[in-house]
Amino acid sequence: MIAELALTLLLLLSPLALGQTQIPQFQYQTDEQFHEELVVRPLAGDHVNTYFQFTTRWHYGVHKNLYHTQLTPRVIAEILQTYDVKELHIGLTQGLWRYETWGYPIVEATGGAELWAWFSSPNLTDDSVNKQWMRLANVFSGILCASLNFVDNTNSIAPKHIFRPQFMESGNRSHQFVRYATLPREIVCTENLTPWKKLLPCGSASGLATLLNSGYIHNTKYHSLGVKVRTLCDSDDPSNCLVELTQTANLVYDLKLLEQSNTDFSLRRLFGMGLNGYCEMASSSKIYVQLNEQGERFQLTPTPQEEVLSTVGGHNVLFGVYDIQQQFEEPGARLFNIAWLGPKGNSKREHTSPPPLYAHRYLLGNGQKHGRIATEVTNTHYEPLPVVLMELVPWYVHAYLHTLRISSKPQHLHEYTSNELKFSLLHYAPGKQRELPTHLEIGFMLPARSSALITIEVDYLLLKWLEYPPDANHGHYIGSAVIGSQLPIGRNYTALPLEGYLFQDSFNASQPAYALTLRTEALIVSLPTPDFSMPYNVICLACTVVALAFGPIHSVATKLIIVERQTTIPRNLLRKVVHKLTSRFSRRSTNTVLNEQQNNEQNGKGKEKENEQEEKQLDQTQSCDKQAHM
Amino acid sequence: MLHKALLLVLAIIQINAAEYDTSILPEAYVDAAQHSTHTNNWAVLVDASRFWFNYRHVANVLSIYRSVKRLGIPDSQIILMIADDMACNARNPRPGQVYNNANQHINVYGDDVEVDYRGYEVTVENFVRLLTGRTQNGTARSKKLLSDAGSNVLIYLTGHGGDGFLKFQDSEEITSQELADGIQQMWEKKRYNELFFMVDTCQAASLYEKFTSPNVLAVASSLVGEDSLSHHVDPSIGVYMIDRYTYYALEFLEKVQPFSKRTIGEFLQVCPKRVCISTVGVRKDLYRRDPQKVPITDFFGAIRPTRVSTDRINVTLANEEDFYTDFEHMPPKKQFKIIIQPQFIAKINK
Repeated sequence: MIAELALTLLLLLSPLALGQTQIPQFQYQTDEQFHEELVVRPLAGDHVNTYFQFTTRWHYGVHKNLYHTQLTPRVIAEILQTYDVKELHIGLTQGLWRYETWGYPIVEATGGAELWAWFSSPNLTDDSVNKQWMRLANVFSGILCASLNFVDNTNSIAPKHIFRPQFMESGNRSHQFVRYATLPREIVCTENLTPWKKLLPCGSASGLATLLNSGYIHNTKYHSLGVKVRTLCDSDDPSNCLVELTQTANLVYDLKLLEQSNTDFSLRRLFGMGLNGYCEMASSSKIYVQLNEQGERFQLTPTPQEEVLSTVGGHNVLFGVYDIQQQFEEPGARLFNIAWLGPKGNSKREHTSPPPLYAHRYLLGNGQKHGRIATEVTNTHYEPLPVVLMELVPWYVHAYLHTLRISSKPQHLHEYTSNELKFSLLHYAPGKQRELPTHLEIGFMLPARSSALITIEVDYLLLKWLEYPPDANHGHYIGSAVIGSQLPIGRNYTALPLEGYLFQDSFNASQPAYALTLRTEALIVSLPTPDFSMPYNVICLACTVVALAFGPIHSVATKLIIVERQTTIPRNLLRKVVHKLTSRFSRRSTNTVLNEQQNNEQNGKGKEKENEQEEKQLDQTQSCDKQAHM
Repeated sequence: MLHKALLLVLAIIQINAAEYDTSILPEAYVDAAQHSTHTNNWAVLVDASRFWFNYRHVANVLSIYRSVKRLGIPDSQIILMIADDMACNARNPRPGQVYNNANQHINVYGDDVEVDYRGYEVTVENFVRLLTGRTQNGTARSKKLLSDAGSNVLIYLTGHGGDGFLKFQDSEEITSQELADGIQQMWEKKRYNELFFMVDTCQAASLYEKFTSPNVLAVASSLVGEDSLSHHVDPSIGVYMIDRYTYYALEFLEKVQPFSKRTIGEFLQVCPKRVCISTVGVRKDLYRRDPQKVPITDFFGAIRPTRVSTDRINVTLANEEDFYTDFEHMPPKKQFKIIIQPQFIAKINK
């Protein structure tokens, strides 16, 4: 009894005892850091863009095993260790980003699932990278509950010009490999959001992630979940490295679709609830709200703790900053809500001027055999812009390189003129049926204030019976084109600079040129689809025809038709009825009746042929017996 | 001569064997057999139907998913296969939500859901591979049924079926023989301790007819020759919400709490013919325990009996210092100098 008491006492005291020897907490935080940010900015046409960014930065030395993680999810660390991945981008997106009216997003993504990764290791070969790539996609299909396991060699390519690694180049480019794939059909729903939130240090328990409620996210016009991992190494000491995991959620709300009719909005209205605190693991927890739009200024309640004017490439944007950690430090802090109030009487926001470069894509041609893929890129800037376009055409669509045309027109004209642009860069990897997609990259200079129409002719393939998906009539997708460029001006440009990792790093980050990649719409083609119920119909019809034909033919071929002469019909009505009944009853023994009749007739004719007749009758009875038996 | 001697020996053995009555098992064994013997729980929940008008099948499978998750089976031990997306379907006026009832009583999709196989991944091949543990190389861990000889496995199927088959995505079907073979292979590979097979489809009882594997308890929403019917339409979405059998099964399961004394026997009584219209079929001959004594949480939950011990236990605590990096003796962190590569190819400008 006393011993037990002593033990419990010891147990009670032990945390205190340990606490004394414990190393102070702040030393850990220098090693791994987590930041959570929310950016709210109004877009044209009563839309609001909310952008969540959760960044985990982990500085690890070589002496340290990658498996000892604190804030970084261990699964990410394991992937980096196992698959020689240096950089990884995954996007799961529903909806289409409208470049013309909304400007550029902070993070680019294409509809459906998009995945690209850089591999780097001294002993990698192309084949081994292909294997690593498929395994990597399989792992993420489990982590994010998406069908990324459909990524294989038939829909992956190795982009040559459009993507560049962000990690330090080892000098030897032969050891760097990139793979890219899209799954345009992929649906994004709560089942993807749930595991995505589980990668965060605080999960969905506290912090800004509590605002991401499935019911409110999937109400949006555009939503995109992103996971980006990159390894950055010191340029002087390659063993001194950082792992940076950025999880993004980019949402566009249409205020007209939300309940209220006015265009004022609040956190509660967008997300269904206010903020109840910050993630305790976070080094910083901030909300940035864009305060002005085309000279208009919004009123915020409560007023932001700080206002920051950001000038990027001569374009000014004013942001209000809320530090959530500071907000909840005050005693008695409750649910935190921010309300926006637009200027009265002028709530309809004008359309912003279109960004310097945007693109659209569509299909030309009719019928289910041939078509043309057309991509239209427009430059609204007053200088020519360099453009690189990448097409990934799946194997079930044949593209013909010799039909590639780039025609151009001044922006104000409707018709494309006959003058063609010359491309200065071309990379083409032909596709192979059921094995490889067609990969095309072209680079050209797009003249000032003009559009270019890039067309390539394609044939649609007739698939094999089992290659059609269960919903074959839905059509097949061709993933979006990726367009890369370099902008001289920072208007509409909101992406973070590559050296930075927090949203505040984009403040006043003027650069000589702004690297940009755009995604176009995905296309849906209806391949020649057979009528799958056709065999069934044919079988049914053929069987009916055969059955209908068989009956009469069989009876004609086997039955003997004999005319029955009814000579002995009684005249009396009662007797007639009785006779009918008896004759019907005795139809089975028709032969005997026939015999009698014939006998009667024969009696009149004389008895000469009696023997012959008897023989014939015998034959008849036999044949009739057979028939009856059948 | 030798042959005759052999025959004689065989005859004697046979006679002796006949004397030993196998129908009476030792009492201790029978008692022990009535207790739960599992160490972990797994659930394989399959919706085999695609297309919006099959909303009810997705609601069915999510109802069971919701119940097993609520009763304690973690997502890592639930394999959920859904052939189409209803929650984020463009036709769904309530995005991210799937209800079991037109009055929107229970959002069976919930806020926390992990679907392991979805869309085109739901195929007969994948389902059989999952059951038999013969998944392709590189399959993610969450897509594998990693059960063992101590696992109680719940298999729930819903979709459109007929006598002896269940359709997958309107393009292929699994037959009752394939199912029976798959389960037999599971038994041979020691992939389950006890298996509860539930199926909600037309002529559902035909699917368990071919089973021969031990420790399998099966329940079906309808007998051979009967249709399983749906419960009701929600006019706001224009399709049937849920099937009758699963609707009443969910109603029953909603009342079950993790430490409930409800039994599988009670669950087998769910949905009598007057409410279900079809007859619920039950197959118990392969199951050695009395369902009336089996707690429902043996299959629908993951609660294992925990004993509190007052005995003294010697524990060796790990050395605290092993967990902490010695920061004082670490070289001071260097200032990072990162050079980011140019992101745009310069060749084009020339």
